Amino acid sequence: MKTFEFSPRLLTTALILMLGLIIAAVPRNTTTPFKLTAEQILDEIKSGTQYLEPEQIAQMIVEKEPTLQLIDVRPVTEFEKFSLPGAINIPIDNILAAEFVDVLNQDIMTNVFYSNGTTQANEAWMLVRQLGYENNYVLRGGLNYWAEAILNPERPASTSPDDELARYDFRMGASQALGGGGLAPSESKPATTTPIPKPKPQGKKKAVAGGCS
Amino acid sequence: MGPLVVYEVITENTNLFLAFFIGIGFGFVLEQAGFSSSRKLAGMFYGYDTVVLKVFFTGAITAMLGLLFFSLFGWVDLSLIYVNETFVHSAILGGVVMGAGFIMGGFCPGTSFCGAAIGKIDAWVFIIGLFIGVFIFGEGYSLWEDVYKAGFLGSPRISEYFGISEGLTVLLVIIAAAFMFWGGEWAEKKFPREDY
Repeated sequence: MKTFEFSPRLLTTALILMLGLIIAAVPRNTTTPFKLTAEQILDEIKSGTQYLEPEQIAQMIVEKEPTLQLIDVRPVTEFEKFSLPGAINIPIDNILAAEFVDVLNQDIMTNVFYSNGTTQANEAWMLVRQLGYENNYVLRGGLNYWAEAILNPERPASTSPDDELARYDFRMGASQALGGGGLAPSESKPATTTPIPKPKPQGKKKAVAGGCS
Repeated sequence: MGPLVVYEVITENTNLFLAFFIGIGFGFVLEQAGFSSSRKLAGMFYGYDTVVLKVFFTGAITAMLGLLFFSLFGWVDLSLIYVNETFVHSAILGGVVMGAGFIMGGFCPGTSFCGAAIGKIDAWVFIIGLFIGVFIFGEGYSLWEDVYKAGFLGSPRISEYFGISEGLTVLLVIIAAAFMFWGGEWAEKKFPREDY
């Protein structure tokens, strides 16, 4: 009696076809693994990487940094009373609304949340961070500290270290540019502000560039 | 978990370092498959040797199945995989130019370097021609920039274009490949050539 034997190529073809059938039958995996665990978020909170200093933000506003996107998470009524230049209003109640996904989940702009203190801004930051969105930050100290540090800076003692005086000069300059109450610089010579480094976007989520021809 | 660079499991530099070894492996396999012989490659167009078709379709099927199964297991996020943009006019023109060069020269860009690595003179001549072509394209860029950038379609995938699932696309490609392999072997018997 003649037995039918599978040749290696027939076996391979059958195997590949079966794998193809399986993959055609199962639904596409749409769960995105890009979510942070609670531990990862805690690590980020502990290291404080979400904060940007008011001086950095002031510098960016003065320089009209095109990638800066200030996001006011306070209610509309408060936003209308006072807001930072160029800020948009996303009240924290609406932070998950579909219309804001494009604003919050992108890799071009540097989003900076602010509220009166930092609680609401931090809540907003934690929510979007949990969703895996990048390039979202929190204004350190919120508007209260902003008013204190940038709009009405306090002159340091004349015995203070140079960098403190330089920071004061910078704050005075920013204060004048941003409509605060500051008037006179600490010294008569031109303000020697040290350039404040721009925030470095960390870990952009973008597709790998490449290809082969 | 993947892509590894996007999730910063490995750095960009480590990625290039790994690519170096993968590239060496790729070249080695091409050479072992006989792709450093321009006669073998040109055989694809005359029908006496269809190993090019088989190797590239096997590679494509393996990669497709691998990526989809990895995605199914949650090992790779397909939405973060880079897909080349499609400029449909330059794709057609480039395909014609490359195909003509392939038949005339007997190599495609990758295999020409493979042939050059084992000292094939025709491969070296092909590479010189390749760089002349690159030079002409670069210097005359303003002349064909309009055509080059026309017909931009973004990064469409076959599955999206026809509105079918990715898995079904893979199955169809596998079936198509099985028929093509069968047809290729039929052609090899129909147009045999012993002297290459």
